[in-house]
Amino acid sequence: MTADHTEHASFDELAVGWALHALEPEDEARFVAHLAGCDRCAVTVAETQDVMAAMATDLPQPEPSEGLLHRIRAAVEETEQLAEPAGVPAAAPARPLRVVAAAPRPAEPRAGWRRAVPMGLVAAAVAAILGLGLWNVVLDSDRQHLQSTVAEQNAVMNSLLAPGRATIAPLKEHGKAVATVVARGDEVDVITHGLSVNDARSNTYVLWGMDGDAAQALGTFDVTSARMALKTVGSGLTGSEQYGTYGISLESGRKAPSRPTGVVATGDVTS
Amino acid sequence: MGAVSTPARRPEDAAGDADVLRRIRAGDPTAIDDLYARFRRPAFALARRILADDALAEDVLQEVFLSVWRDPSAYERGRGSVASWLLAVVHHKAVDAVRREESQRRRRSLAEEEMVLDEPVAARDVEDDVWTRVVSERVRTALGGLSAPQREALTLAYYGGYTQREVAALTGAPLGTVKTRMLSGMRRLKEELGGAVAEMTGGALGAAPTPEPGR
Repeated sequence: MTADHTEHASFDELAVGWALHALEPEDEARFVAHLAGCDRCAVTVAETQDVMAAMATDLPQPEPSEGLLHRIRAAVEETEQLAEPAGVPAAAPARPLRVVAAAPRPAEPRAGWRRAVPMGLVAAAVAAILGLGLWNVVLDSDRQHLQSTVAEQNAVMNSLLAPGRATIAPLKEHGKAVATVVARGDEVDVITHGLSVNDARSNTYVLWGMDGDAAQALGTFDVTSARMALKTVGSGLTGSEQYGTYGISLESGRKAPSRPTGVVATGDVTS
Repeated sequence: MGAVSTPARRPEDAAGDADVLRRIRAGDPTAIDDLYARFRRPAFALARRILADDALAEDVLQEVFLSVWRDPSAYERGRGSVASWLLAVVHHKAVDAVRREESQRRRRSLAEEEMVLDEPVAARDVEDDVWTRVVSERVRTALGGLSAPQREALTLAYYGGYTQREVAALTGAPLGTVKTRMLSGMRRLKEELGGAVAEMTGGALGAAPTPEPGR
């Protein structure tokens, strides 16, 4: 036991730092990989959060402004709840904490934009997408799930951080942002963050580049989870960045029709 | 359910918190009002302390309450109280926000961070809430029981939103030392706070009959 604990000591330290949201990225990555399978660390995190909550009481406690509750109510009204992740039992007591690190900020309509994005400025694009609030850090005892979540997020980050010019258009469904198109060079990616899961046996989502009445199918993709995911829908395309408007439709069958039939979300790239 | 008492809130609040969360899970939007009524003040106090800006702090609160509405399953039953979890989410979001706003915000100096601890409670805009006062005194006493470097490391990280490396730079200590101080400081705080924090078993902060390394 003692040897185990000694070996584990560095994770004990990281657990406290993680709960405090104070870890450096490399430590965070190491700890997150470890936490998924470690009950001791899950308890340490919860214990630390308890002490932190106590520390929050050692502060002046003024009232927030009256408008805040109204803003929250309004935002709640137009925000759908996520379905419980399928296949995950609702309350397995041994599961480590799951932390949702971000939430949508619907009160803030974000215009799309087209911008020559030099590498350093891609941060702005990243911030805009993170600002959509879909950056969930999911820690699950299901290691497979965790890894795929981390892999998805890495893919999104890599896509956004790749050097070069990018065209970015947020797409909305009933006023709610559900996807973001990132067109760069000959590749088009869709980051989905709120599109309904489709039945991949009988239908498919299609991404369209739209120009007035004309619509060009850029590629198809499926949505398999409510969580954020990156889909590369087209590559080897030319002129995929030229559109001022992008749209997503849900089509029966597995192929893109010549024209979109059931458009579910659209968004403009504006300069 | 591990119904635990959460500092500054009466022990019976925990069961009510869990109930509010159940209603949110069931899709009842009015439950958000109740959650707000329960937590707006400690949540706002914490976000405001970290961000030093009321408007940004309110943005963080909106983000947090909406995230709870959107995905209430983020709270895992069986690990800590709803209150501790919610305040941890507030802390996390506020620290993210302060890192985003870094360029606009003049980070408070180390001396100012420490001054907060010396502010008399009576001078603060605190309602005459006896329970809050009692627990708050207890936290202050507990913080006072830490070694100066432990207190410095934890208050910079918690109230200041600094990373461990930033804390190391601010305090002139090696990173490894800062990590160790945060763990030992947390252990000490938990011990000092005793019943004010939940009893859990098997974690690194002790309280359980778990042998600790190096003892």
